[in-house]
Amino acid sequence: MAVLHAWRAARVTPLGELHSPPRVTAALLRLTVQVVLVASLWRGLYAATGTTGGLGRDQAVTYAVLAVLASRLRELDQYTGRDTVMQHMHYGTIVYWYLRPLPPQRYYALRSLGERLYGLAWALAGYAVCLPAGVVEPPGSAAVAGVFALSLLLGQWVLHYVMLVIDQLCFWTLRNGAALLILVFAQNLLSGVYAPLWFFPHWFVTMSGFLPFQATLSVPLSLYVGRIPLSEAAVQLAVQAAWVVALALFTRLLWRRAARRVISQGG
Amino acid sequence: MTRSDAKQAAHHIEVRGLSRTFRTTVRRPGFGGALRSLVNPERVAKHAVSGITFDVAPGELLALLGPNGAGKSTTIKMLTGILTPTSGVARVAGVVPYEDRQRNARNIGAVFGQRTQLWWDLPVRESFSILRDIYEVPRAEHTARLKEFDDLLELSSFWDTRVRHLSLGQRVRCDLAAALLHDPQVVFLDEPTIGMDVVVKEQVREFLRHQVEERGRTVLLTTHDMTEVERLAERVVLINHGRLVLDGTLDEIRRTFGSTWQVRVTPADPHTEVAPLPGIALLRREGPQVVFGPEGPGAPTVHQALKQIVERYELTDLAIDEADLEDVMRAAYVQAGPGADEV
Repeated sequence: MAVLHAWRAARVTPLGELHSPPRVTAALLRLTVQVVLVASLWRGLYAATGTTGGLGRDQAVTYAVLAVLASRLRELDQYTGRDTVMQHMHYGTIVYWYLRPLPPQRYYALRSLGERLYGLAWALAGYAVCLPAGVVEPPGSAAVAGVFALSLLLGQWVLHYVMLVIDQLCFWTLRNGAALLILVFAQNLLSGVYAPLWFFPHWFVTMSGFLPFQATLSVPLSLYVGRIPLSEAAVQLAVQAAWVVALALFTRLLWRRAARRVISQGG
Repeated sequence: MTRSDAKQAAHHIEVRGLSRTFRTTVRRPGFGGALRSLVNPERVAKHAVSGITFDVAPGELLALLGPNGAGKSTTIKMLTGILTPTSGVARVAGVVPYEDRQRNARNIGAVFGQRTQLWWDLPVRESFSILRDIYEVPRAEHTARLKEFDDLLELSSFWDTRVRHLSLGQRVRCDLAAALLHDPQVVFLDEPTIGMDVVVKEQVREFLRHQVEERGRTVLLTTHDMTEVERLAERVVLINHGRLVLDGTLDEIRRTFGSTWQVRVTPADPHTEVAPLPGIALLRREGPQVVFGPEGPGAPTVHQALKQIVERYELTDLAIDEADLEDVMRAAYVQAGPGADEV
């Protein structure tokens, strides 16, 4: 099984980052500034009120800071490393993905796994600083922590497939810059990174329920802060798992079709 | 290897009536045309490769030649399994490449010009390690092969450098090594030395010669560098407009198209209006000199041409150049039939 031996492909993006100290410094600075600003913002918003939208101040700050930390799982700089699907299509190097015994979908999955593990290391480091500093609250119980971890895993899995769909677009459109911008905005808005979803109108929350974004971040963070009680966790986890299955099938179909496109676009 | 594979092994590459047709949209000129193309696109079929047939024996280096757009890269992409032919059959080391991409991938290596397969942000050795794992090459074997490649291509002085900081020559040498690290029987090289300086080109040629003569690899090479062809290939397949024009040795090509000659003259009066003569083309001007060459299938012999030129112009100097391979290929390209059909 080439996929087992090819684990080093998971190191591609993290190693690229570590070989570029300015990128690591920039990531550290950005994360620090984001956490400080977001914590200050939500503390300020709650200064004149005790509870809003069913959430206390500490819960809201915890949610917002965890959202910032979790967003590190997604924001690695593939573009500088010339390793986006769009760049491979542009430079014609996508052909090499099809000349190896490791199928492109498995290479992509391995690489994505490495990126998320690297992002997780950043998020955990941030969490390790924020927790004792009292910026974020600990989970309500061990059960909450466990369910949160499982939900975060499923959420990242969903996010992996959503990003993959955007990348696969390149096989038809060559470029996906606009789609990526829309995706990042939609993901931040609809998954509750900008603000928890319960602050939005009911119709908006209902509508976003038909999209996979809630499953990426809003659900695990809501479980962590107790906005979704443990008694409802099973349903939420099942919805996340359903998104994983649906997107896995959809992206599999797209990979098959993309293989027929690679030559006419790849030059 | 199956019985069928063994039967095919007589030829490492076997191509039978291979064709590939692309359907493309005609882009009409102007704003109105662009709008019409958007609303009512006109689709045409473009025959990139039309029924070509050839074989390559194990341990042979074959040069696949042709002008830009002749169909060379499309042919290589079908043989590497990236592209499925519209019709015809290809086998590479006993495998139909486009039907079994993964199995084919273990038998072949490929370099596509300046397109690198190395990871841009990583030191070269990291790329080699990733490829070692992807191809499941044992560590000892990998180390030994890397040493062999280092001896020939002098990689170790820069293999700890990130790919983005390598020069073109260094990068292509690393790409050649990367393509051969898993010990493939068949290697496809699509203009591997394009843009390189002469020293690196010679090093790469020596490396390729070693791979063919000492390691017995089968190499299919496309290039526009005729010096490379003369130094590396005994046999040449010439395609133009997607069709096979000639399959033979360099000597055969010279015999077929090598009647090409060039007559270099210096007119006595530098202001003389020099024009082509019947069957004789005016190829170029080089300062005060004018170079003539044959034109069309009914071109005169060099002696007949000399007679015509001398009778027509008053000259102070005259020389006959023996046609080199580049001239021969130019003649071959010119005589190689009509453009690709558009349906």
